[in-house]
Amino acid sequence: MISVGTALSAISQFIGERFPVDKLNFHSMVEKKEVPIHRMSWGYYTGGLTMFFFMIQVITGLFLLFYYQPTVSDANVSVEYINKYVAGGALIRNMHAWSSSFMILFAMVHLLTAFAMKSFVKPREITWIAGVLLLFITFTFGFTGYLLPWNQIAVNATKVGLQSVEYVGQYLPGQLAEVPKILRETFQGESSVGQSTLGRFYALHVVILPLALAGLLGLHLLSVQLHGMSQGVDQAAKKSEKFMSIFIFKDLSLWATVFLVLFVLAACIPFDSFLPFPLLAPFNALGSTPAGIKPEWYFYFVYYPLELLPFWVILIASMVCVSILIFAPWIFKGTSRRTLSFITILASIYLVVMTLFGEQIYEFFKH
Amino acid sequence: MSDTILFVALPYLALFICVFGSIYRIRTQPFSYSSLSSQFLESKGLMWGSLPWHIGITVILLAHVVAFLVPGLWQSLMSNQTVLMAVESIGLGLSFLCLLGLIVLAVRRLTSPKVQAVTSTMDLVVIFLLLLQVGLGAAIAVHCRWGSSWCSGTTTPYLWSILLLQPDTTHIHDLPLLVKAHIVSAWLFLLVIPFSRLLHMFAVPLEYLVRPPQNVVWNNPRRFEAQAQPFVKEEARRHFLNAGLGIAFGGFLLSMGTFRNIFSFFFGPRLSRKEEAELMELRLGRLESTVSQRKLELERQAANCILVAPLADLNSVTGKYFIDYKMQPAIAFKGKDGLPLFISAKCTHLGCTVSNRVDDQGKILCPCHVSYFDIETGQPNADAPAKEPLPHLGWVIMDERGKVLASRNAKGETTGAITALTEANARVYIAKSQEESA
Repeated sequence: MISVGTALSAISQFIGERFPVDKLNFHSMVEKKEVPIHRMSWGYYTGGLTMFFFMIQVITGLFLLFYYQPTVSDANVSVEYINKYVAGGALIRNMHAWSSSFMILFAMVHLLTAFAMKSFVKPREITWIAGVLLLFITFTFGFTGYLLPWNQIAVNATKVGLQSVEYVGQYLPGQLAEVPKILRETFQGESSVGQSTLGRFYALHVVILPLALAGLLGLHLLSVQLHGMSQGVDQAAKKSEKFMSIFIFKDLSLWATVFLVLFVLAACIPFDSFLPFPLLAPFNALGSTPAGIKPEWYFYFVYYPLELLPFWVILIASMVCVSILIFAPWIFKGTSRRTLSFITILASIYLVVMTLFGEQIYEFFKH
Repeated sequence: MSDTILFVALPYLALFICVFGSIYRIRTQPFSYSSLSSQFLESKGLMWGSLPWHIGITVILLAHVVAFLVPGLWQSLMSNQTVLMAVESIGLGLSFLCLLGLIVLAVRRLTSPKVQAVTSTMDLVVIFLLLLQVGLGAAIAVHCRWGSSWCSGTTTPYLWSILLLQPDTTHIHDLPLLVKAHIVSAWLFLLVIPFSRLLHMFAVPLEYLVRPPQNVVWNNPRRFEAQAQPFVKEEARRHFLNAGLGIAFGGFLLSMGTFRNIFSFFFGPRLSRKEEAELMELRLGRLESTVSQRKLELERQAANCILVAPLADLNSVTGKYFIDYKMQPAIAFKGKDGLPLFISAKCTHLGCTVSNRVDDQGKILCPCHVSYFDIETGQPNADAPAKEPLPHLGWVIMDERGKVLASRNAKGETTGAITALTEANARVYIAKSQEESA
């Protein structure tokens, strides 16, 4: 029998170890911090890069906010207006699109490297869980932002996405079976994807998710600075460099380079150019769905398996994966970094293959 | 008279003293032939003074020399407006750079106690002359613009006349006072060269560029120890400062370059009348389609039956899309029996809108995940992702006076019939009563 007192003291001990108050000062969080140098050191840059892309998203997003109009009649026209008439509008919108992809890419890479480097063990559990949640928020950003241009692919992909949520209901027992349907209707707001959906997604994308992300990011960064970089390799690195200001300096120069790349990319290649026109035409409620409705590339790793396998397989697999991700600090407590790297490499291979060749694999099995 | 003294006598005196005085000094006092560096005494101020000054004056002097030596080439270059503009602005910028450097050097020379200890009167004369000369040059660049162009007809021939021993001051007789002062000051400048540290400009240390690097090491253990410890920290701080400055400067350049665009982004486009009209038309079109959508909704709430199409307009190959009472898409075909066939167009898999074209096997395709539905039975093909059949909808046929000729409910039970006589005027409706019962 555990008394309330011991439970409380266990909780306070847990929190005390994760947030050591004596380290809550500039000296130990910034001046004293050192970054180990070893063969996996590049992994330390992926998080900063993700945050950099988030900052770009915030700034370009604010720019777009000046002209975007979240109504079914005006959304598509206003996007066209930004592209066609506003000075630098196409560039800003393109940067927003490219940078969103980069943000998700680097968030995934960051998660994988942190996993391989075993950066989640005590006392960094909270950092890890906050990070996993941040990744999910980032995906939600992608999903909600996809609808806003209100073109064929946007609305139809959203329809499919929301309907998939409802599909979960059939595997739930009793009253619970209704929950996914209620969830979908809450997000959809009306009988089919329309004005209410657009308004909801807009509010999520522009206000709620950024606030949630900023809050979690604050927690994430605070605990990163509190505990310092994890050692990252099994044998503690012999060399290290100062966080302030060698590492920051390197980080900043990397950001500058990446910004240049992003800018050139956005100036030269419209993100839309990978989709055929019928999918980019304004949404038409009375026509049939055009062929080729797909989610963004970063959902391919669940989308193609979803097309190929029975729904329940995907459902169970993703629930298992998510639980493993969240409980990784406890599941892999005693695993060596060698093993973790091996798992990471397997997962990366799966992700890369599914993202690049998902369509071919689908065609191969379906025909 | 004064012209002759200032622009003929003074130049020859200055040139003579400069050439022979310099040679004499170099021959007799070779070790005084130096810029008398005070870098060991004070290096920070020197860096911010000496570097801008030397960079600026080297380029400016070079331009003066080129304009004087190859007047033809110079003139042809300056006749291009863009080049002239560029040369003038670069020149002015460089003269400001020189002035900045000189001011820093002057302040340093006048305030640093260490440097004061080695300052001679001649040094003060030199710095005064330099400030005067550069100040005059910058003033000319501002007040008597396009000097790089007008020099070809004025100062260049004057200088050549001096050099060719046929002095002719008519070329510069009418020049503004500023320019004349600049010329006089230049001759005075030549005059003091042999007596001052200015002599070092004849000793350009070009071999420094190719010789192996030399590192000055202080052979003093106490100093060595004192320096060894903070070295890394200093290094880091310097890196950080450099990076910060670099980013600030980069950001400054970037914002200078993009400021206009950023501003005009927020300023918003100013469209031509034509563009405005096009845009307005587009907006109206979209608004109208929203309006019609809303009207459909209202109609479905209020009306007891809604017209889908005249029976004659329906066919069995291409269906007509319409919106049912639940605001979901549906398709109207003509069935094999000549009666309407209404089927839901909302795919039972994930809700995409099914295509309205019937293929050879009497099936319609949902493009999202490739399910084929038989329009007669509504059933999807066996390995389709959709498992449930598309439901059929009921309909009512009325003539133009609203008399019901035939109807079918959602279960597929048909009442009444169509004759050849009534077919022409028959219209097909969906009825609220049927939807509700279904």
